[in-house]
Amino acid sequence: MSQPGTGEIHLRRSVGTATATATSAGLAFAAIDYLGVVSIMAYAPGASGWLAIGIGACLMVLVAGVFSELNGLYPTAAGIRLYLGRALGTRTALTVTFTYMTTVVLVIAADAFLIGAALRHVLHEPAGLAYLWIAILLAVATAANLRGVVLAGWIQTVVTYVVLASTAVVSIIAIFHVGGSFRTPLHLFGAKPLSGIQAIAFALFLFAAFEWVTTTAEEARGPTVISRALFLAPLLIWATSTLFLLGLSHLVPFAALHHSAFPQLLLGQAALGSVGELWMLAITVLTALNTFNGGFLVASRFIYAAAREGNLPPMLARLNLNAVPWVAVCTLATASAVLAAVIFATGQWLLLVAVGATLEAGIYALASASLLILRRKEDRDRPFRLRGGRGLAIAGTAIFSIFGLATGLADPADSSHFSPAPLLVILVLAAISALYVTLGVPRVQAATAARRAAAARPSRRPPRPTAEAPPSDPTVEPMEP
Amino acid sequence: MATWDELSEALEDYTASCNTNDRLRKMQRDWTRTLHFISSDTDVTFTMVVEAGEITGTPAGHHGVPDIVVTTDSETFCDMFWGDLNPVAKYLRGDIAVRGSQEDVMRLDAISYVIWPDA
Repeated sequence: MSQPGTGEIHLRRSVGTATATATSAGLAFAAIDYLGVVSIMAYAPGASGWLAIGIGACLMVLVAGVFSELNGLYPTAAGIRLYLGRALGTRTALTVTFTYMTTVVLVIAADAFLIGAALRHVLHEPAGLAYLWIAILLAVATAANLRGVVLAGWIQTVVTYVVLASTAVVSIIAIFHVGGSFRTPLHLFGAKPLSGIQAIAFALFLFAAFEWVTTTAEEARGPTVISRALFLAPLLIWATSTLFLLGLSHLVPFAALHHSAFPQLLLGQAALGSVGELWMLAITVLTALNTFNGGFLVASRFIYAAAREGNLPPMLARLNLNAVPWVAVCTLATASAVLAAVIFATGQWLLLVAVGATLEAGIYALASASLLILRRKEDRDRPFRLRGGRGLAIAGTAIFSIFGLATGLADPADSSHFSPAPLLVILVLAAISALYVTLGVPRVQAATAARRAAAARPSRRPPRPTAEAPPSDPTVEPMEP
Repeated sequence: MATWDELSEALEDYTASCNTNDRLRKMQRDWTRTLHFISSDTDVTFTMVVEAGEITGTPAGHHGVPDIVVTTDSETFCDMFWGDLNPVAKYLRGDIAVRGSQEDVMRLDAISYVIWPDA
């Protein structure tokens, strides 16, 4: 059958390159990215982290190529399910997708925590009040989602460009501020080669989720819009993150950054005093608009679709009078609040960065492997074809697996140590997903089938006459409804 | 392969089911859209006009600028409009192709879900 996205269909509301690029960059650039930069600095001595981000950005060109071709083959919001399913099988696709979706909860919880911590810091409130801010933020986001409030595309675009531009401007001011210094800017692999690799692996996290823009393929103005966004968004993130890292390494001592949940406020303070701190606080709060809007929307609609398909309990597909899957939204909000409370109680926010980095590297490795398999299975035309695709897909599978292990065994709280904690968290999440797909999904499907059998719902469509009439031409004799 | 007459009959029933469902009308009260449909095996095209949740017309051919474009084979369209299949399952398998915003795609499925929750 014909595929959407390959033909020229003009929709009343469609997404162009600027909006798609902003969507992609906005999905990737959350408040947790500021901590991602600090995690890079833990492994890259002095100012050498800019090299790690640069190498990470080069690797994103490969990722953008892989996702562009996969998106060209399956230009749909369900793309990841489709290409993983066709390449690796339905069960593996479901397991991976369920695990992948936990990153959404992780990012929502992390952002709620980081914004709460930043607000508490600037308002000089007791530490305990941070969780109150977290609860308020999540409650507001949940209420807005339940009422069916969706940020207009242009607001998302403006918010994203304001966040990126503001971060860049404050960083440039910090870079040219007197009194700082750049130490060892080329020393990425100088101290320990493995640390350099881990720094690059953490740099990949800065771009995490930029590929989610493929879920908007069905509203793109043309087949090349998503590909362009996939290549342009990493450029914006690369430029902003590099400037932020250089600003931090120039003006803020690493000892002050390492155990802080708000390095962006420290940079603002160091560059422009209280004005800079308030400016960066406002920017941090703005990132929540994209994270909460995009995160709740993507994840709750995924849960709704999985429940409608029969892979999650049907209760999760229940809609309120605003056509919002309210059980799914409330479940997400509760899970995020619980996770944010755990982060708040344990102070393990850097572990979240390592878990996110490992998961993303794993997804990039799986996407590369899927492309390799689908190159053999699907020979139809696509709007984008990665040059040297087979070789690059093999390289991508190997490189991102190694980077996944590098962050999976990292201890961002103490870069001189290894810790299996990030990998263990992911293995536990994957095991729960696999167990659910193997044991839970058949039960849910059996219960659905039993419910339908009990309802004894006959087919509503009238039986067709035995002699089938040839299809009539509606343009000759149009029928009125 | 379903004929246009069969499709029309299915559309007529779908329109009546949607427009007489109070809960659906309330849920879709802010939903005004033009939907274009393309039957990939018969090349039949038709339009559905929805105004504030009410289906006001399903003429043959494409009329106006669409908010959503749905492409699948004629049999799937017939079964979908009669409520005999689950559109999400078909969509997630890639058998139904849609162009439009994710929110509109979900709203379209929500119609089937509300009027035929057991499909």
